Amino acid sequence: MAPLKSLESEYPIIDSDFRQFCASHAIFSVEDFLVHDIYVLMALAEEHDTSDRLKQAITQVLSIIDAQHQPWLDGLQLLGYSQKSKSILSTGCERIDAFLRGGFQEGILTELVGPSSSGKTQVCLLAASNVTKSGLGRVLFLDTGNSFSPTRVAQFVSSSSELADTESSKILPQVLDNIECRSVFDIFTLLDVLHQLLQNLRYQVGQNLRMLIIDSVSSLITPVLGGAGTHGHALMASAGFMLKKLAYEYNLSVLMTNHMVAGDGGMIKPALGESWKSIPHIRLLLSRGVLNNICSMSILRHPSMAIGERVEFAIL
Amino acid sequence: MEVSSLPISASHRAKLISAGYISISSLSSISPAHLARDLGISENEATGILKVASQRGGPERTIPSHHSIVDGAQTAWDMLHEEESCRRITTSCADLDDILGGGISCKEVTEIGGVPGIGKTQLGIQLAINVQIPLEYGGLAGKAVYIDTEGSFMVERVQQVAEACIKDMQEYDSFLRKDLPARQVNLQANDFLANIYYFRICSYTEQIAVINYLEKFISEHKDIKVVIVDSITFHFRQDFDDMALRTRLLGGMALKLMKLAKKFTLAVILLNQVTTKYSGGSFQLTLALGDSWSHACTNRIILYWNGNGRYAHIDKSPSIRSASAPYAVTGRGIRNLASNCKRVKLILRARLAHDEHICRSLI
Repeated sequence: MAPLKSLESEYPIIDSDFRQFCASHAIFSVEDFLVHDIYVLMALAEEHDTSDRLKQAITQVLSIIDAQHQPWLDGLQLLGYSQKSKSILSTGCERIDAFLRGGFQEGILTELVGPSSSGKTQVCLLAASNVTKSGLGRVLFLDTGNSFSPTRVAQFVSSSSELADTESSKILPQVLDNIECRSVFDIFTLLDVLHQLLQNLRYQVGQNLRMLIIDSVSSLITPVLGGAGTHGHALMASAGFMLKKLAYEYNLSVLMTNHMVAGDGGMIKPALGESWKSIPHIRLLLSRGVLNNICSMSILRHPSMAIGERVEFAIL
Repeated sequence: MEVSSLPISASHRAKLISAGYISISSLSSISPAHLARDLGISENEATGILKVASQRGGPERTIPSHHSIVDGAQTAWDMLHEEESCRRITTSCADLDDILGGGISCKEVTEIGGVPGIGKTQLGIQLAINVQIPLEYGGLAGKAVYIDTEGSFMVERVQQVAEACIKDMQEYDSFLRKDLPARQVNLQANDFLANIYYFRICSYTEQIAVINYLEKFISEHKDIKVVIVDSITFHFRQDFDDMALRTRLLGGMALKLMKLAKKFTLAVILLNQVTTKYSGGSFQLTLALGDSWSHACTNRIILYWNGNGRYAHIDKSPSIRSASAPYAVTGRGIRNLASNCKRVKLILRARLAHDEHICRSLI
């Protein structure tokens, strides 16, 4: 954590006298400060000549630390908050909507896992086209494998709409204008883009962004994961935290795709390992049957549904 | 933004954090000399770190005025227009072009895999020639990069395919443009050969080095429109003890190829071998390099035998429906699986001055 002297420019009360006093008790950084017993420190400050200034400085440091966390909320406030601002976005496929009790929820991270060509990108494109077609807001698609296909999105828009062909071709420009696609080819660029998105949303640019899709997050993390050092894990965790923050603070529905790797006994399991398991709130396993049109989705992790429940659907 | 998300070495990162520089904003107003003193490193290294930090985070931005949500994002509407105006590389086989929606698309990575002898290298050679077809015949007038890891690139065969392509163009001229004055096809087979940049690779480190070098190479030769790697698997199958390392290397390589395809709007074609996998109680043929690699491509085409005929099947694609089509490997290259008469089999997506139509095989 930051050394005390870096706080001096903003808070002049933390001057060199105070730092010397702290240094005499082996406190050099904010972390040392937290670990130390505050009451004992206050008592020792009493005995000093400039005890008032020292006590003010101690209170100042404590208030800086206090400002770092979010305000406390009770359960009732949380319930009202979530009912009011976190709606559910339809996925565009009725069967999946019925299965997921409405669709993809805002404010949480949903992960689609599956072997190759099991329909993950198709579900993402369908959800994106549905959100913009219903005029709910904008969608940002972060693409790592050049698999964002505007023709396919246009197909979804015109096939599912109840309007006549001419009318749906009129709304197509507006609908497609609301989907933005950005190619990302390494994890550092992803962190940069997410940071930029946080900044922009804080300053209320792109305010009606409803959905963020990352296809696929595993191809960005696999090259840095493993090997010597745990930096890969740190990057994966920080990406996960930024996504959770984005989802929670700005009511975004975040959709991510992941692939599968070989596990023990010849079974396949989701990639990215144990540490990633806790990051998405909902994990859905997709697979495609022998008949190419029928895909199935089952629950791997869900806060309110049982693991193993599944549904079959077709994306035409 | 955190310092731990900067692409710097582990020792520098550790020194920065222990000296108290946790966020990038704390690096914004510091001089290299000061930083070098604080961390105990040389001033050159400190300048390097500050440069990376200024590229990444920088000070908190003021209210941005641009319309897009993040920098570098494109709307789907603009991308749709770009896609419609982007040409595809024909495979010279009408059925195959049909199921591919016109041919191999640029801006995407296509993986083609199959058993030995099915025609992967032949298809690669055909595409390296077809990308050079001039614009007036519906081609891209581009150049090709051929990365050969197995040594299966035979120059005599390329010459043969090039000569057949020129002959096809001349026949197209005489059949479809009979009202207009005859136009001489001023191309020789040697011109086609001159436009293929060939790299021979003998180990996996060379392969990774070439792919890293390609970005610089292609920015100097801007008319390269296709990169063919034949095959991507060969050096990664033998002698690799550390499978985790292999997965990491392949993942990194896949991302670099994707970036090349997107940045320079070219088609990347990866030829892959097959292996057997034990699943569902039986042994099945799948493409090599494992499950993680199967996500490294945008499209995947599997070539297989059906009776006596060669077939191509689209296994994975975000926008094309799954389908199969037959094709044949003839003396003139990849052609339609058809009977014995001599026909003009040039398939192109001609964009003549005022009409756009696809010319199919005649008679």
